[in-house]
Amino acid sequence: MLTVKNIRKEFSTVVAVDDVSFEVKRGEVFGLLGPNGAGKTTTIRTILNIIQPNRGDIFFDGKPFDDAIRNKLGYLPEERGLYKKNKLLNTIVYFATLKGVPQTEARKRAYDWLKRLDLLAYAERKVEELSKGNQQKVQFIIAILHNPELVILDEPFSGLDPVNQIVLKDLFMEMKDKGKAIIFSTHMMEQAEKLSDKICLIDHGRVVIEGKLSEVKSRFGKNTVHIEFDGDAEFLKATDGIDKLLLYENSAEFEISDHQVVTNMFALLTQKLKIRKYEMIEPSLHSIFLSMVGGNKIKKSEGVSL
Amino acid sequence: MRKALAVARWEFIEKVKTKAFIISLILTPLFMIGAFVLPTLLITKPDTEPRIIGVIDETNELGKLLSNKLEDKFKLPDGKPNYIIRHIGNRALLNLEEAKKEADNLVVKEDIEGYLIIRSSIYNDSVFEYRAQNVGNIKVTERLNRTIRDLIIEKKLKAEGLDPEVIKKLTFPIELKSVKISKTGEEEESDFKTMFFSAYIFIMAMFILIISTGQLLVRSMVEEKSNRIIEVLMSSSSANDLMVGKILGLSALGFVQIGTWALIGVAIALKFGTAIISLTSALVLLPFFILGYLFYAAIFVGVGAPLSTEQEAQQVTGYLVMILFIPLLLAMWIMQDPNSPLISILTFIPLLTPTMMAIRIPIQMPSVFEILANIIVLSLSTVAAMWAAAKIFRTTVLSYGKRPSIKELWHYLKSK
Repeated sequence: MLTVKNIRKEFSTVVAVDDVSFEVKRGEVFGLLGPNGAGKTTTIRTILNIIQPNRGDIFFDGKPFDDAIRNKLGYLPEERGLYKKNKLLNTIVYFATLKGVPQTEARKRAYDWLKRLDLLAYAERKVEELSKGNQQKVQFIIAILHNPELVILDEPFSGLDPVNQIVLKDLFMEMKDKGKAIIFSTHMMEQAEKLSDKICLIDHGRVVIEGKLSEVKSRFGKNTVHIEFDGDAEFLKATDGIDKLLLYENSAEFEISDHQVVTNMFALLTQKLKIRKYEMIEPSLHSIFLSMVGGNKIKKSEGVSL
Repeated sequence: MRKALAVARWEFIEKVKTKAFIISLILTPLFMIGAFVLPTLLITKPDTEPRIIGVIDETNELGKLLSNKLEDKFKLPDGKPNYIIRHIGNRALLNLEEAKKEADNLVVKEDIEGYLIIRSSIYNDSVFEYRAQNVGNIKVTERLNRTIRDLIIEKKLKAEGLDPEVIKKLTFPIELKSVKISKTGEEEESDFKTMFFSAYIFIMAMFILIISTGQLLVRSMVEEKSNRIIEVLMSSSSANDLMVGKILGLSALGFVQIGTWALIGVAIALKFGTAIISLTSALVLLPFFILGYLFYAAIFVGVGAPLSTEQEAQQVTGYLVMILFIPLLLAMWIMQDPNSPLISILTFIPLLTPTMMAIRIPIQMPSVFEILANIIVLSLSTVAAMWAAAKIFRTTVLSYGKRPSIKELWHYLKSK
């Protein structure tokens, strides 16, 4: 569906995206990950032809961008906003007609979607009367009403309550089953981990990791331990052979670097803590993210202080 | 193009329904009528009650003459005299200070409208005083002044042994009737007022259209930027379609507005039986009107797209309106010599062309060559402005915060 090849985008002095490449197929959920300011939004805008890359190419089914492709794309921008003074239904219909859907058809579909997302009561109300979360649902409708083949959602989950997050996830899966390609960006790794088939992690405008989620994970090995416990686990910080420790109140995740320790580890833990769960797992996306991106940052700041 | 129409439709329909638009559509003409027509109507409205004017007369002669003359000349609709003169003070032995006190009292009590003090020195220095609570009643002061002037002149003529009637006949005013000869050699009766008014009406119409639509354009762009809708729009439609659609939709809105007002204007003009615009002038002006309008619309887009707040937008539209007004400052000069070479050159500046032509055409039709040349220059400038506006729109409509420098704008224009 979409091929992004070596794109680079500079803004006067800053290189926002540098040599980014990836591919998204139909029926695939693609997670575009990275910390704030990594270049996710710029990448997305480039795909949508809102801005032009300085270098590189973007192809849709092997063809470069043209006006007809616009109607096959759906977009939910990161910065949310709608016309405040206009009526909900009219607003949705307008955006659909801009995507080439005839008026009457757009009206019909808009009704269906408003009904499905529990917004029918607001159809003739002004947008400004809606809550933030409901406005976001409206924008989601706008992004998909014209039945696009590629949907691009920039931070779709931010600002949604848990109930609506589930609604949105269901919609994701539904679109995926219909063979749509979905790109979504996020800096919340838990979301990405649950939803993505493929990920691309960007930092400072460059691709850090890219590929199928399972492949990415297995690349990082299976030497990660996840525990849930009661007690004080502070001692883990000082234990030899434990690496990349993520310590929470009642759970922890870490890598075992020294194989000598593995055998003793379980004994050590049960001795000091009340262990409820002990698991050898693939690393979470979160820890991969931190080790790739966070580590980088720490090293850099050390470099500066030296 | 279909998308441009969808944008135009949205901009037009959604704005035409707003209360603000409907109110301004109705309220503006009402306000205009209120501000210009009503006061004139009220001033020219005749009095229904006689006004009593006091006189303190040191000459013991002019007061009486004034009284006769006023009663003779100014009558109320029912035939009663409009002004009644009331003498104040002892006529035989006048004490000015006492009389003034008495008269002031009468004025305060509103027994009299006001009073005149005619000193015996009036024949030498030609000065007399009128005192009243309201000295702004031009009609009263005008009439009193004129009548007394006539009386004094009459008296002086008599003193020189001349007959006022003969003098009047000899010094009748000469009236100048100006006839405008148009290019085709036809005669056309025209006076300064008509010319001034047709120029004035054309310019006002153009101003209203350019300014109101320009502001709508800028505001709509700033709004879409501030609520970030612009990103969704840009992902749905090309920047050109978006820009063209906006200009089309909001122009239609502007034309509905100006059209409604024009109809009201024509209706009023017909009712009062004054045709102040010549059809030929209007037809020749039409291309300048439309081109000038589009030219400015492009400039408003180009200037408005990089802005991100309402305040900035107001500032910038303010500057543009000032440029639009320049020819109006030169109007008197243009009217004196509409075809001077310098004015011809100034007319070729696209920013000034529409207003310059609006002033020049009703006064003296420029040569066919000049008109065509100006239309060509303005058309080319409009195309160039549209092209540049589209470029700037496309590149800056997503930028926030800082205004681009001239250098950056130049860079945008060169980008493909």
